Amino acid sequence: MTEASTPEHVPAPQTEIQGQTLVAAEGQSVPDVADVLIVGAGASGAAVAWRLAQAGFSVVCLEQGRWINPSLYPTNERNWEILGRHDWNWDPNRRRNPEDYPVNDSESAITPLMFAAVGGSTIHWTAHAPRFHPSDFRVKSLDDVADDWPFTYDDLEPYYDLNDLMMGCSGINGDPAVPPRSPRPMPPLPLGEDGKRMAGAFDRLGWHWWPSDNYVNSTPYLGRDACNYCGPVGFGCTRKAKSSTDVTYWPEAIRLGAVVKTHARVSEITVGSDGRATGANYLDREGTVHHQAARSVVVAGNGVGTPRTLLMSKSDAHPDGLLNSSGLVGKNLMFHPYSITTGLIPDLSETWKGPMGNILMCQEFYETDLARDFVRGYAFQFNRGSGPVNTSLGGAHEPVKWGAGHHEDFAERFGHVVTMAGIGEDLPELHNTVTLDDKLTDSNGLPAPKVTYTLSENSRRLMSHSVRSATRALEEAGATRIMANPLLRSGGWHLMGTARMGEDPERSVVNQWCQAHDADNIFVVDGSVFVTAGAVNPTPTLQAIALRAADYIAHEREDLKG
Amino acid sequence: MPTSDGQLTPADRTVLTHVLDQIIPPDGDFPGAGGLGLAERVERSSQRSARLRSALLSVLDALSLDISSRAEGGYAALEAERQISALTTVESSLPEQFAGFIELVYETYYTDDRVYKRIGWAGRPPQPEGFDLDPWDPAILENTRKRAPFWRQPA
Repeated sequence: MTEASTPEHVPAPQTEIQGQTLVAAEGQSVPDVADVLIVGAGASGAAVAWRLAQAGFSVVCLEQGRWINPSLYPTNERNWEILGRHDWNWDPNRRRNPEDYPVNDSESAITPLMFAAVGGSTIHWTAHAPRFHPSDFRVKSLDDVADDWPFTYDDLEPYYDLNDLMMGCSGINGDPAVPPRSPRPMPPLPLGEDGKRMAGAFDRLGWHWWPSDNYVNSTPYLGRDACNYCGPVGFGCTRKAKSSTDVTYWPEAIRLGAVVKTHARVSEITVGSDGRATGANYLDREGTVHHQAARSVVVAGNGVGTPRTLLMSKSDAHPDGLLNSSGLVGKNLMFHPYSITTGLIPDLSETWKGPMGNILMCQEFYETDLARDFVRGYAFQFNRGSGPVNTSLGGAHEPVKWGAGHHEDFAERFGHVVTMAGIGEDLPELHNTVTLDDKLTDSNGLPAPKVTYTLSENSRRLMSHSVRSATRALEEAGATRIMANPLLRSGGWHLMGTARMGEDPERSVVNQWCQAHDADNIFVVDGSVFVTAGAVNPTPTLQAIALRAADYIAHEREDLKG
Repeated sequence: MPTSDGQLTPADRTVLTHVLDQIIPPDGDFPGAGGLGLAERVERSSQRSARLRSALLSVLDALSLDISSRAEGGYAALEAERQISALTTVESSLPEQFAGFIELVYETYYTDDRVYKRIGWAGRPPQPEGFDLDPWDPAILENTRKRAPFWRQPA
C-alpha cells in the first residue's frame, strides 16, 4: 500500500492498493462491509452518494474510469477539435480508452454515447438542465400511450430544486411553457447575437422561446468560476464553470465520508441464497478480481451499462439476470431522437462564440396536439457553429464539398452556422433492447452490450415535423441556405427505459423509490428507470429521481446501516 | 500502391500530393492542400486511428488500380479532369473509405497555421481566454412574458 500525492483536482488523498485507486477523506477508512455500494460515479451515483453520506450511511462507489484532471481537457490545446473528434469522442467505439466498453450498435438507428470517469457523461455533456413537464408523467392518462409514472411532477419538484442548487443552475423564472419554479441560483447565460436573432424570429412567428436552464455558471458559484463563453463545453470544462459531478456532488460526498474506488470495473453484483445483494465483484486495472461486500447496492451505470451489469449478474436466485423476473431488464430502450436543421445566415459572423449549445429553447411543439399526425411532441434546442475542422466536416450534415467550389462552400458556412436541434419524445417499445453480445467483449473479456433499436413511425413523423418547423424559423431569422438531417445517428446521448419503474412487478423492474421488486436491498437510479422519455434532456430528472430514492433509503431503510 | 505492410512508397506520396490538390484546390494565389506540402502530415495523421489509416491506404490503392492511371503512367500523369474523374469513381465505389479519407484531409488542412490565417481563425486554444458576449438583458423576454401558461396540468 502506498500513499499517493493529492493532485489539486482531486478533493481528497488518493491511495494506491493493488491496481486500485481509493479516493477518500483524510483518515477515512474503507469499510469491509459498506452500507451502500454504488456502481457508477456519474450523474445519479454522485447524487445518491452525497445524500446518503450526509445521512450517515457508509458509502463506497466503484467507478471503472479515472478521476480526470480538468486541465487535461482538450480546450486547453490548440488542436482541441482533433482531440474532441478522437481521444475525447462522445462515442466509446471511437474513443477506445481502456476503461471504455465497446457497444455493438450495428442494429441500432442511433449510436449510444457515454463517458467512463468520475462524473460519468456529465464530463462531456453540454449541461442543458430543463425539467420534464407535468404531462410527461401522465402520458397514459392524457394521451393513451405507454404508461403513467408511479409519481407526479409535484412529487419530484423538491428534488429538482435541490439538484439545481447542488449543480448550480443559470436561468430565469416566468416561462409560460412550464410550471413556476424556485428562484434560479444564477441569471441566464447571455444569448449572443445569434441567440438574439433566433429569439426575434420566434417572436415574429408567435412561437414560444425562453432562455434554457443550464448547469453552466453565469456567475461564480460555490467556489467555481463563471463561464467565459469559450464554446466547446461538450469536451469538459477546464474552469469548472460547467457542472460535472466530479466538481459538484463528489467533493461534498467525499468530505462527508464517501469513498470512491476508480479503475474498478464491476463484473457481477453478488447475491446470497435469498437473492438479496451481498456486494459486487470487480476488476482492477490489472484485471485482478476483488469483492466489495455491502448491505445494499445502488446501480447507476446508465441505460446501457446498468442492464449490461444486471444481465451479467446471473445466479441461482436470478437465473435470467439480476432483477429480471419480469423479463424487462434491457427492454424498452428509449433514446431521444434528434433532428438537426442548420441555417446559414450571411449577416451573422463568428457564431462559434459562446457555449456550444442550449442557451435557449423553444417548446412551442412540446405538448400533444391532436391536429398533428403524431402524439406527444418535441422541443428545439439552439446550437452554435464550431471551429474550422468541425465546420468543414459538416457536423450532422454533409461535409463541405471537395474539389471545385470547396472554398466557397466553406466560406458560406464558417461563422454563419445556426442550428435548431429538435429533441423528440421517444415512446417505449419492447423490441428496442440492450442485450449481451455473444462475441464482442471489453478489455477484460466481459461481454459488451448490444443495442437493437428502430425508430418508430410516430417518432419519424415527429422528427419530420420538427425539420419543417425549424426550417421556417431559420428562414425567418434570415438563413439563405438550410441543411436538414431528420435523424442524427450519432445522437444517442440519452439512454432510458431499460429497467423501468412501476408498481406492478410483472410490468416493471423497480418501484417508485427505485427499489427492485426482486430484491429489497438493490436500487437502480439512472435513466434505466424512466417509464417514458419526455422531450428534454433527462439528467436533472434522473438526478432528482436519484435524490428521491436516496431520501427513501435514508428515512425508511435504517436497517441497511451497519 | 502501398506496400503489403501498409507503408506508403515515394510514388504514393507523389500521388497523394496530386490528390490533395484536387480535394482542396488552390484558392486564388493560395496553394491547394497538396501545394501546401500537407502530404506528409496527412500520412502521419492517419496513424491516429486504424479507420483513418485504412481509408488512406484504400483510396491510394484504388487510384493505383484505376484503368486510366495504369494506361497513362500513373495518377500523377493524368490531366486534371481525369484525376477528378478517378477520384469520383473511388468515391462511388468505396464511399465509407472515401469519407474517412476526406475526414483525414480536412482535419489536416484545417489545422494548418497558414490556413488559419487565410480564413481568419485565431488558432488559439479556447481556454483560458474564452470570448466576450454582451451581458444578459431581460428586456428581450417582453414578448414571451405576455403569453399565458400553456403547459398541460394533468387532472
